[in-house]
Amino acid sequence: MGADPVAAVSGDRPVGVAIVDDHPVVVEGVRAWLATEPRLTVLATGDDPDEVLREAPDADVVLLDLRLHGRMALDKLAELSAAGRRVVVYSEHTDPQTMLAALDAGAAAFLAKHEGREHCVETVLAAASDRPYVPPALAGAMVGDPRPDRPMLSDKEREALLLWFQSMSKASVARRMQISEHTVKQYVDRARIKYTRAGRPAATKAALLARAIEDGLVRPEEIGIYRSQATHDRPTP
Amino acid sequence: MSADLNAPAQRTDASQAATRASVPTPREPVSPEALAAPAAVAHASDRGARIAAVAIALAWHVVIALPAVLTARAEFAAPAVVLGTWVLVAVTGAVAGVRLLQGSPLPPWPLAALLLVVDAAVFAAAGERQLFAAANWVWGTLGWFFVLAVWGQRVIGLIALLSTHALIALVAVLGHGAEPADVARYVMYVYGTFSLPVAVFVGSTVIVGLARERAAVSAAGHAMAAERDAAERGRQERRDRLALVSSAAGRVLGDLAAGQADPGDPEVQRRCMLAAARLRRLIAESDDVPDPLLHELRAAADLAERSGLPIDLVTIGTPPPLPVEVRRRLADPLTGTLADAREWARLTVVSGPDEVVVSLVTPDREGPEATGPPAGEHVYGPVQYLYERDGNIRWAQTRWRR
Repeated sequence: MGADPVAAVSGDRPVGVAIVDDHPVVVEGVRAWLATEPRLTVLATGDDPDEVLREAPDADVVLLDLRLHGRMALDKLAELSAAGRRVVVYSEHTDPQTMLAALDAGAAAFLAKHEGREHCVETVLAAASDRPYVPPALAGAMVGDPRPDRPMLSDKEREALLLWFQSMSKASVARRMQISEHTVKQYVDRARIKYTRAGRPAATKAALLARAIEDGLVRPEEIGIYRSQATHDRPTP
Repeated sequence: MSADLNAPAQRTDASQAATRASVPTPREPVSPEALAAPAAVAHASDRGARIAAVAIALAWHVVIALPAVLTARAEFAAPAVVLGTWVLVAVTGAVAGVRLLQGSPLPPWPLAALLLVVDAAVFAAAGERQLFAAANWVWGTLGWFFVLAVWGQRVIGLIALLSTHALIALVAVLGHGAEPADVARYVMYVYGTFSLPVAVFVGSTVIVGLARERAAVSAAGHAMAAERDAAERGRQERRDRLALVSSAAGRVLGDLAAGQADPGDPEVQRRCMLAAARLRRLIAESDDVPDPLLHELRAAADLAERSGLPIDLVTIGTPPPLPVEVRRRLADPLTGTLADAREWARLTVVSGPDEVVVSLVTPDREGPEATGPPAGEHVYGPVQYLYERDGNIRWAQTRWRR
């Protein structure tokens, strides 16, 4: 594993999480998952994003069920991301198009509902510090991205994404690729950072990128095009 | 159990399972036959018109022209030329007709040039008295042979030939010292030689076009109906499976709610896992683009699931059309390994236009190797097979690259 995701989160305050889902049983389940992690605290829950955020304006991360009351909340997701909210989308709709659309709209991460407690906690912690976390289902969507304007991934990045999607074990990927687990994570995260180019600019994407540069995950000279987006001085082409 | 015994048994089971489950057979890509149907209809329609054109030309030549020529043979300026050219055109016309019906017509323009030479010769040889008589057979017959010569070409070619014919006739008429009545007769004759061949020629082209269009429309209609039927069958199939899965999940939930099942009981947890995996697969499955490889893998997953193995099958992208051999090399090693899987299994397929990677991951456990080739990397033609176990997972992967 790479750097501890929460290392840079300010102070001793635990990460505040808001959960938006229209199924109370799911809300309770996710709350129970997050409760096992002392660095996380659930501030508010509900089925309406606006209400939940009124209740918890300081939430660091919003866990958003993409399908609310029978419709896809992609617009809401874009609105929250543009406003700088770190939104982790979680959904049982794991078709690649939906996942990539969520990334384009500015989601910090996409989590399949069946991916379980460990991935959920990891994803929320990473999102809180503006660091990427790519659960296996999202890795699959990225590696199979058929869009002609998809980000250009290197061979190693593609292979790491593919094997991570298949095996769900970074240790096994590391053994297969004969590299360290840390390097596997770097390849996967770099691929994710390249996706900050796709779709509309959003404050969350800029933050992910800025942190990636700070962490040395990508070099500023590699990313020319990203910088303009990060500083919001002109729209991306 | 040895690999030799197990592998074929597995294949048989998988194929039986596919039959039992009556999963709609994936639609193969639109067959060339389906695309050829409108062309075949157009071809049949065109053949009818060809037969008609050949019959008209030869019948006119033999039934109308020949008796007139024979009757008036003494009155020609050069009877041998008129009779000789008649025979020449009869033979050439018959050959051209047969070749046209066989679909390998004689070259149009040399044939047309020959006919024009005959035209000029007959006008010169017929003499003034027979100029407008039926014995001057080129008036009535030649237009139809022009039609045979340029069949399938653009109509402008036929009009050019008929115009040349009219020009030759005009020279002949004027050369024999035409009276006003001759000019009027000439105009009538030209109209007569033009109108019918051109009408038949254009009419047949239009009919062939219409037939092609109608056949295409009806073929598209059939394809749509077939697709609708397949979609309906697929939907019914999924509805049935949903009912099955829901009742299984419902029973577990009911038992839990009623306190008859203990959430701590491993067996209950296993039932929950199985029901959840089934529901998940049902949600993830989309047969909008049926594919034989995915179909095969799904059948194998169904079989494993029925024997109580929670299995995830995740597919990304649609495989390109693959030769049967490649498909078999991609699927078979994994379905063999799947038969040995315990606890859970994750089957994934990632497809792009140039690459298809299938992977099966199951928990590693003590015991004999899974069936199939030994651990390590193997290459079978364009398909690479990798198998390894690391104490944590057993991982089998097949990969095809274009």
